Amino acid sequence: MTITTKKSIIGVLGFLFLLSLIFVQWHEVTRRAEEAGLSEALAVIPDSSKACYDCHKQKTPALVDHWRGSTHAEKGVGCVECHQAERGDADGFDHEGAFIATVVTPRDCSRCHVTEGAEFAASHHAAGGNILASLDNRLAEVVEGARVPFNPHAKSPVPVGSLTQVNGMASVQLGCMQCHGSKVALATTDGGTITVDDLKPGPDGKPTVTAALAKVQKDQHGRPVLHSSAWPNTGIGRLNLDGSKGSCAACHSRHDFSPRRARQPEACGKCHMGPDHPQKEIFEESKHGIAFRDRMSEMNLDAKHWVLGEDYSAAPTCATCHMSGNKKNGGRVTHDPGERISWTLRPPVSIPMDTDEKHAIVKELDPEKRAALVKDSAEAKRRRMQEVCSHCHTPDYVNGFYKQYDDLVVLYNEKYAKPGAAIIAALRKENLLTAPEFDEKVEWTWYLLWHHEGRRARHGASMMGPDYTHWHGMFEVAERWYTELIPEVRELLEKARHNGQKEAADRVSALVEGIMARPEHQWSGPQKN
Amino acid sequence: MPHDAQPTTPNPADGAGDRRSFLTKSSTLLMAGGLAAGYGTFAHVAGRFLYPAAPRAKTWMFVADLGNFAAGSSMKYRTPDGARVLITRRDAKDDVSAFKALGSTCPHLGCQVHWEPQAQRFFCPCHNGAFDTEGLAISGPPKDANQSLPSFPLKVDKGLLYIEVPAASGEEV
Amino acid sequence: MSTSSTWWKERFPVPAGQLKELTNEPVPNHLRHWWFCLGGTPAYLFFIQIVTGILLAVYYRPGQSEAWQSVREITDEVAFGWFIRSVHKWGATLMIASVILHQMRIYFTGAYRAPRELNWMVGMLILICTLMTGFTGYSLVYEQLSYWGATVGANIMDSVPFVGSFMKNMLLGGEAYNSHTLSRFFILHAAVLPVAMLLLLVVHITLIRLHGVTEFQFPQDAARPSKTFNFFPDHMLTELMIGLVLMIVLSALATILPATMGPQADPLTTPEIIKPEWFFYVVFRWLKLFSGTAAVLSTGFILFVMFLWPLIDGWIRRRTRASELSVWIGIVAVLAIIGLTVWEAAVAH
Repeated sequence: MTITTKKSIIGVLGFLFLLSLIFVQWHEVTRRAEEAGLSEALAVIPDSSKACYDCHKQKTPALVDHWRGSTHAEKGVGCVECHQAERGDADGFDHEGAFIATVVTPRDCSRCHVTEGAEFAASHHAAGGNILASLDNRLAEVVEGARVPFNPHAKSPVPVGSLTQVNGMASVQLGCMQCHGSKVALATTDGGTITVDDLKPGPDGKPTVTAALAKVQKDQHGRPVLHSSAWPNTGIGRLNLDGSKGSCAACHSRHDFSPRRARQPEACGKCHMGPDHPQKEIFEESKHGIAFRDRMSEMNLDAKHWVLGEDYSAAPTCATCHMSGNKKNGGRVTHDPGERISWTLRPPVSIPMDTDEKHAIVKELDPEKRAALVKDSAEAKRRRMQEVCSHCHTPDYVNGFYKQYDDLVVLYNEKYAKPGAAIIAALRKENLLTAPEFDEKVEWTWYLLWHHEGRRARHGASMMGPDYTHWHGMFEVAERWYTELIPEVRELLEKARHNGQKEAADRVSALVEGIMARPEHQWSGPQKN
Repeated sequence: MPHDAQPTTPNPADGAGDRRSFLTKSSTLLMAGGLAAGYGTFAHVAGRFLYPAAPRAKTWMFVADLGNFAAGSSMKYRTPDGARVLITRRDAKDDVSAFKALGSTCPHLGCQVHWEPQAQRFFCPCHNGAFDTEGLAISGPPKDANQSLPSFPLKVDKGLLYIEVPAASGEEV
Repeated sequence: MSTSSTWWKERFPVPAGQLKELTNEPVPNHLRHWWFCLGGTPAYLFFIQIVTGILLAVYYRPGQSEAWQSVREITDEVAFGWFIRSVHKWGATLMIASVILHQMRIYFTGAYRAPRELNWMVGMLILICTLMTGFTGYSLVYEQLSYWGATVGANIMDSVPFVGSFMKNMLLGGEAYNSHTLSRFFILHAAVLPVAMLLLLVVHITLIRLHGVTEFQFPQDAARPSKTFNFFPDHMLTELMIGLVLMIVLSALATILPATMGPQADPLTTPEIIKPEWFFYVVFRWLKLFSGTAAVLSTGFILFVMFLWPLIDGWIRRRTRASELSVWIGIVAVLAIIGLTVWEAAVAH
């Protein structure tokens, strides 16, 4: 090879080298462009929470990791920002240089999330703690457990310590209250508890009855002891010591408070599932759920702005229809799911959700008085829901569905619910039932009919789950009615006749037979005994 | 491969000599060009590598909710970069105009200023620069140069105060 | 022009004529053949490693809490960081590969024979330094395999009789991987080993110049008028070509197969599969074929034989007629090396 040739080759190779570096440069530019979209935001620990972070990174590393992944961390909202308490708060205590409270309530969250807090406070979710006065509560507290602790009847080993008393409220505390919310309680030095009822907090959340605070039991670190009957608990209607209701962490689990998680059915499904209100199961059965499972990866669940019709359209989740913003409503989110619900499917007999200014359902029947009371009609609520539907479905489709839905609810109401409620009410009125609830079979029968099967049928209809509407729903309602409720009532009436309550029994019997003679029940023929 | 042991003397009588010397010259040029192009670009890449990255994007960070920020009070804030900012609320208006965020780096040569309550001014110990409550220089070299303390943009959104600062990069631990 | 050159000559009295003679070595004709470039290749790559290594060291932070993070920043954030790092990584692979091939070339062409035995030993030292540099370099990334590879390697070193424990403690700065270890690896990798290699290279090249390159006769060269050709400019240009080809290859490899990041080292979790870098596969597999002392002693013995091979080979050739024995031994050795390497690469444990 001549020198000339060599030099020429070097020249060419040099330019090839240049070319390869141009390719490198192109690669760099592409990579930068990609990364600009993908770069993770990073946690910023505000000074106030630096000490918390450093210690808890050792003590509870995963908790800290969760926070690091949150938007709060991105924006510099740390531990103290949420946990800070004020002097005078019932559950506040000094902890490593900060005055904090363990339980963060919607009042605390509302300091920054004002609109959400207000909407939530007005919602039925926040009222979930009201179960404490209801029939369901008796079932868990008395029937399943015991309202007063009782002694064990034999020596039994337990994993830790020794067994001295049986806590009869365990079923309520771990069952009902974990969804509905507990009444947060501080333990007292004399073995009792202090709740919001004792503290009577003012509008600033601080107790007005301070005498009760003197009895609060403190642990060796000076921390007020949260009674185990009520904590841990993130029930959505939790009755907090500061007078606020609920827990935002019920849906926005801590400590990353992920909206992504709250958008998915599983978040709602912690509570909205099971034999008495299987909304999650119905969703999964329905076409909506099928679409969601298939196209979950296209749902843009991580997006900050999550508006149906703009950021995603693949499928709806619970949040999509009941709470999230959509294109047609201007992307407005609501933290009050009741805003879009036209029937309440909870009570034995479903009624339309005409609500007054206090968000309570109007029960007044006189049309004029009713019209005066109703601030947000069931029709308006339905229109809001239909607004969501209309992103994917045409008006005919939507209206046709709502007719089907209304028909099912009305069928249930008129054929079973109202008659059944009337029968039970009559039995009570005529003293044909004992005073305690749930001590007679017919009470269970009626309860299961409306509370379990009846609700399943109605919910199944509301969310297009045919199997729940029918086989898990109306079929079982009918089975319960025809094979259990009516025979049990008739048997009870027969016994009553022989027990010297003939007139009362006859009056109720007239009601029952009158119901069973109605066209819809006639197929079952006359009484068979 | 054939190799010329000695370079042939170009004979002006035949054009071949001219052609050969042209080729020789242009091959040298080509070589020089190729080497410069290749290694020169590599040096450019190394240079870009060494030069510090461009300033990062800015982001809005949460400071406080207005209910917790009394009128007339100040709050110390630290940016993700570690810079110290003093945020003051002048009055009770729930508007961003009630707030001021001043950085504590002296614009003269970069020392840290501190607040002197007795003189109601920010003072820089390096060359005795001083600034008023608005951050405007009132004496010393910064006054001569008509400088002020750096000011950070603020905004109020839904009752919450935010400050605009350079975004964090790398592990913020 | 002449005044400035005289100005220079007065202040920088370089004897031009002598210098030219000194550097313009006559290069034997066989070096026209491309496969003899295997000596210059690792030398050039060494230079590239120094340049890219210095660039990387500008951003690298040695220290258990920061090392991995700094490598991640280089890879993900610094402009062209991924490229410089990948060139450095591929440069290391190619350099070690070409050093090994060069050694094989020297072996099979018997260029180590008298009077060049010492240069072979210097070359062995350079090989060991190169492998150690590769080992320490990978440890600096502080990925899982970096940490565990270093731990296992140091423990293997520990099982060398007499000096093993001492060597391990010197390497790790303690009985086990601790907060001083990474700094030691960094200084070894970035300062001690490169300087040692540079000095050894100077000795290596000086010896070559003094002895002259072993000449081989190729049939097609027999007809040439001269047995040698000029270093300047002929061979120099060849070297330039090789250099450019290597740069293109490195750029391509860096772009198509860039260096990635594994998970950060976790002293509490040993990964299922720990392997050293590819160039140690043969040693790793060999050690696993034996137990404890036998493994270390046999490896030591092989190294010893490799080191003293020119003397052993000379002794064999003087005693027997088997002058081609070294070739056969070499073939067996190369096949064994390839076999053990592939075996280790193919299996998990």
